[in-house]
Amino acid sequence: MLVSSEQIIDALWETIWMVSFSLVFSVIIGLPLGILLVITRKGHLLENASIFNTLNGIVNIFRSVPFIILLVAIVPVTRFIVGTSIGTSATIVPLVFYAGPYIARLIENSLLEVDKGVIEAAEAMGATPGQIIFRFLLPEALSSLVLAMTIATVGLVGASAMAGAVGGGGLGDLAITYGYQRFDTATMYITLGILIIMVQALQSTGNILSKKIRRS
Amino acid sequence: MIQFEGVTKTYGEGSNAVNALSGIDLTVETGEIFGVIGFSGAGKSSLIRCVNLLERPTKGKVFIHGKDLTSLSKREVRSTRKDIGMIFQHFNLLNSKTVFHNVAMPLLLSGFGKKEMSKRVAELLDFVGLHDKADQYPDQLSGGQKQRVGIARALATNPSVLLCDEATSALDPETTQSILDLLRKINKEYKITILIITHEMGVIREICDKVAVLENGVVLEHGSVFDVFTDPKHQTTQKFVRSIMNDHLPESILNDIRNKKNNHVYRIQFTGSSTGHPLLSKISREFDLDLNVLYGNITEIQGIPYGNLIVEFMGERNQIQKALLSIQQQSITVKDVIHHAS
Ligand SMILES: Nc1ncnc2c1ncn2[C@@H]1O[C@H](COP(=O)(O)OP(=O)(O)OP(=O)(O)O)[C@@H](O)[C@H]1O
Ligand SMILES: [Mg+2]
Repeated sequence: MLVSSEQIIDALWETIWMVSFSLVFSVIIGLPLGILLVITRKGHLLENASIFNTLNGIVNIFRSVPFIILLVAIVPVTRFIVGTSIGTSATIVPLVFYAGPYIARLIENSLLEVDKGVIEAAEAMGATPGQIIFRFLLPEALSSLVLAMTIATVGLVGASAMAGAVGGGGLGDLAITYGYQRFDTATMYITLGILIIMVQALQSTGNILSKKIRRS
Repeated sequence: MIQFEGVTKTYGEGSNAVNALSGIDLTVETGEIFGVIGFSGAGKSSLIRCVNLLERPTKGKVFIHGKDLTSLSKREVRSTRKDIGMIFQHFNLLNSKTVFHNVAMPLLLSGFGKKEMSKRVAELLDFVGLHDKADQYPDQLSGGQKQRVGIARALATNPSVLLCDEATSALDPETTQSILDLLRKINKEYKITILIITHEMGVIREICDKVAVLENGVVLEHGSVFDVFTDPKHQTTQKFVRSIMNDHLPESILNDIRNKKNNHVYRIQFTGSSTGHPLLSKISREFDLDLNVLYGNITEIQGIPYGNLIVEFMGERNQIQKALLSIQQQSITVKDVIHHAS
């Protein structure tokens, strides 16, 4: 094996760091986007065709670019924001561009699952749009939102490994530079194993949490 | 008081336009239980949703206690909605919240303090008979219990009007009865005006004071439940009345009657105190006729007894005519069954 256990642990931390930071920023962008995509659609709370069509279009554009291309395509943006285009911090930018719109779609889906009747009851009670979003829509969708976030996080783990390929650090970087390019099978399998365990743990936690919220 | 003034509702535009309501004029007096009945697609939901502007009328006005809702700003509409409770066919409770929090929601939205809120919710749950269910979640309740939660929630802000859109349509007959009893209690104790939308004539007979029959977005007829039940003018209304009075003769008997040359079959409708008199035996003796009762029933509508008999008169023709005249003179309705197709 060409790498030390310390290197592996460092890489693991880098991955966790990349995933958590990009998750936070992606949610900050994706949540309001997802909410807007729901409430501005036809017949909804604050119907507004131009806002809906614009946001919908933007999300679609980002969702249609493969991550590996996005990674390279937005290098100027990354450089502008972080000052450099390589390293762990730099990969967070493309990760957010990738996961933000994805999370917006996931949140949109979860919120659309909320029974229309509940929103109607809220309106009949004289609730303001803000109250409807925060007191009705989000709480009713919470269990489904947790599952959506789990999917997004797992997606980010995968994407962060890919980002590693272009010098972003983390487990993916390790697997490619040592496992693939230098034929170090052991490193390859160890990183792979860690990634699998991570994803399993994330998914189980998400499932348990979501179930707990749904109480069934 | 709720007033509809020329309320028209059109969904969609151009060739896709659906006229759900066409110029509705109706008045629901304060303290009344008013029922609107109609078949599916008649426009009932559209009508009731115009009252709290969940649907905005395309034309016309809706007044609550004399105030024109269609002229209000969004903010004013929201504050007026707090004076209009609403319950739904599918309850529309928050599944993520306990019974307590569901009922507390309107209070929370209005900025009530914790203490006041707990007190009011306890009061409401007591009123609907669910004080022991405060910490349960909606999916742990039966349909009837869920509707009780819906009712408690609708009453939380002390509304003066309660709208019920098919509130009992998802419930079994026994549970329906208990919910209707509760609605009557709300009307009596809190003096809340209730507007009920339903396709079940039983609901109308059970608790309504007045009824309007809706079809294709038009009111066919309206009036006191007693009048509409005992003398339905429109064919659709007759259908609805028949759906629960169940007073039509079997086809085989009708055929027998039609085949007789001199058939004398009449429907006799008694109302009020006349139900107490031994009419038939008197007629039989007085005019020397044999009377064969083909159908008979007696019910109570709005607390007034209402009897319905279908009787075959056998005897001399002019005696029968005299007998019919004598019955009519007692202001009892008599109708020829064969011509009043029954
Ligand atoms: N949002 C809508 N968009 C388009 N058409 C609608 C809409 N809501 C109702 N309609 C149409 O308006 C007409 C009246 O509908 P409405 O829901 O008021 O009837 P209803 O009497 O409540 O029927 P039901 O007993 O089935 O609930 C129907 O033809 C229906 O298809
Ligand atoms: Mg309806």
